[in-house]
Amino acid sequence: MAEFAVLADGLVKRYGATTALAGASLHVATGSVCAVLGRNGAGKTTAVRVLTTLTRPDAGTVRVAGFDVLREPSRVRARIGLIGQSTSMDELLTGRANLEVIGRLHHLGARAARARAVELLTSFRLVDAGDRLVKTYSGGMRRRLDLAASLVTSPQVLFLDEPTTGLDPIARSDVWQAVRDLVAGGTTVVLTTQYLEEADQLADTVVVMDRGRIAASGTPDALKRRVGATRIQVVAVDAPGASEVASAVEAVVGTRADVTGRTVTADAPAGVASLGELIGELGRRQLAVEDVGLHRPSMDEVFARLTRRPLPYPTGRGAPAATAAAAAGARS
Amino acid sequence: MSAVEATTWSQRFGFGVADAYNLTRRYVLRARHQPDVVIGTLLLPIVFVVLFGYIFGSSISVGGGNYRSYLMSGLFAQTMMYSAGSVAVAVSTDMSEGVIDRFKAMPILRSAVLIGRTASALVVGLPAFLVMIGCALIVGWRPHTGIGQTVAGFLLLLLFGQACAWLGAYLGVVARSAQAAESLAMLPSFVLGFVSNVFVDPARLPTWLRVAAEWNPLSAVVTAARRLFGNESGPASDVWPLAHPIPAALLLTAVMFAVFVPLALRGYEREHG
Repeated sequence: MAEFAVLADGLVKRYGATTALAGASLHVATGSVCAVLGRNGAGKTTAVRVLTTLTRPDAGTVRVAGFDVLREPSRVRARIGLIGQSTSMDELLTGRANLEVIGRLHHLGARAARARAVELLTSFRLVDAGDRLVKTYSGGMRRRLDLAASLVTSPQVLFLDEPTTGLDPIARSDVWQAVRDLVAGGTTVVLTTQYLEEADQLADTVVVMDRGRIAASGTPDALKRRVGATRIQVVAVDAPGASEVASAVEAVVGTRADVTGRTVTADAPAGVASLGELIGELGRRQLAVEDVGLHRPSMDEVFARLTRRPLPYPTGRGAPAATAAAAAGARS
Repeated sequence: MSAVEATTWSQRFGFGVADAYNLTRRYVLRARHQPDVVIGTLLLPIVFVVLFGYIFGSSISVGGGNYRSYLMSGLFAQTMMYSAGSVAVAVSTDMSEGVIDRFKAMPILRSAVLIGRTASALVVGLPAFLVMIGCALIVGWRPHTGIGQTVAGFLLLLLFGQACAWLGAYLGVVARSAQAAESLAMLPSFVLGFVSNVFVDPARLPTWLRVAAEWNPLSAVVTAARRLFGNESGPASDVWPLAHPIPAALLLTAVMFAVFVPLALRGYEREHG
């Protein structure tokens, strides 16, 4: 078996004036889990479509499960599984019938398809619901059935496009468990997600996509170190006061502070220690503030920081940590 | 358990046939869970036979013969044509949902999804067709030829229905929504249905409509069916398709297949979404 289950280089795909992929490359080691993280429109779904033979790229090379996707798509299709964003199960069939159809389409034969459907219903806790129409299933049950359907034959590489978007937390952890079981069985998994937590829970490698490019990649830990620095946030009493607050913050934490209206934020690697120091500093400067606190970055901030281009730094105290790390990541 | 891959050409052919069969089966299975739709398709032909048979039957005459004997083959063929609409809606619904992507990413015959949709329309529509034949018999329609020719007449109608189903599949893959597909499919059904010899003798139409009606594949199929059933076929016509209805019906149906099967498959391959 090839060392890399997915080897894609320089993928470009344009739809009219929009560029969905602008030279993205993706290497996924066999047996590992790769999470492609990105906002809506970052190019995640297009990337999955190219890797699963559904879309021809305008440029680039791509091999999946050891075969060239463009030259031998049917060999690739025999070795992959795909779960798209919308369910692909027939609402007007029972869960069991859906699985049997997929088994028959994989040429298992009627008897083996029936037996396999029973096995899968059991392992995905759908035995009781197996003879009900899929239209009566909850979102989580549909997702489990989708997963079961892509495991009718064991694919070497499984692609999951936002598998947990719109699911409640319990259904989400069910899907996560199913993915972990798969990986334990040796399947390579490529999943796209908008949730950092999901990438963290499941992935060996995280790839951040932005505007059709790979903005950063690395292990979840490395990525978290880059983006997950605790931020200090101060709300000034009024907008003019915010700039004075910002200079106090910069003096304490040693990095540049961002000002948005009355809100001042900055990286605070020292966490609570910086908070104590800042309160002292604000007192010395006799600056009144409405609120002071520490917070972890929201997903939006994570994306904003990982995908921000290095800017000329106005205050001359060194580049923001996250941007520097992202640039380093892009080189690695 | 890993996927079984075809290695020889004969195996590949066998798998292709199996794929088409399995998808047809899938669509037939799901129809069992839509009894309301199936009942609707059963009622329509009854309404047709009664409505057109008696409303038009009391005011239209064709060459002095029995109008219901004349009309019935036309109604059979027109009902066959409505499969275009249901296939168009079904295919465009498939295209807009995730299911097509899943099938496209599986190692199955590329045309199997559309074959499944068109062939299942035939299977699901069969009970309605039988009900319609029953109604026709009740209102007095009878085939006057042997069993062989009568069966040939019905087979010709079903073949024409499949050609129309592929027209529907084509409309389904090009339409942007199920609603658009439905209204797109209405147009040919109406135009072909009425600009034909289903209800009236085309000889009485103004020239431009007459030519269209005479060369309409539906007219050839209807005339061929009338002849195979030994029914009233109206005044003789010396226009080629109506003078030689059976070869004309087969030829025009073959042309429909030759045009719409490749167009539908090409549309299916095109990217959606």
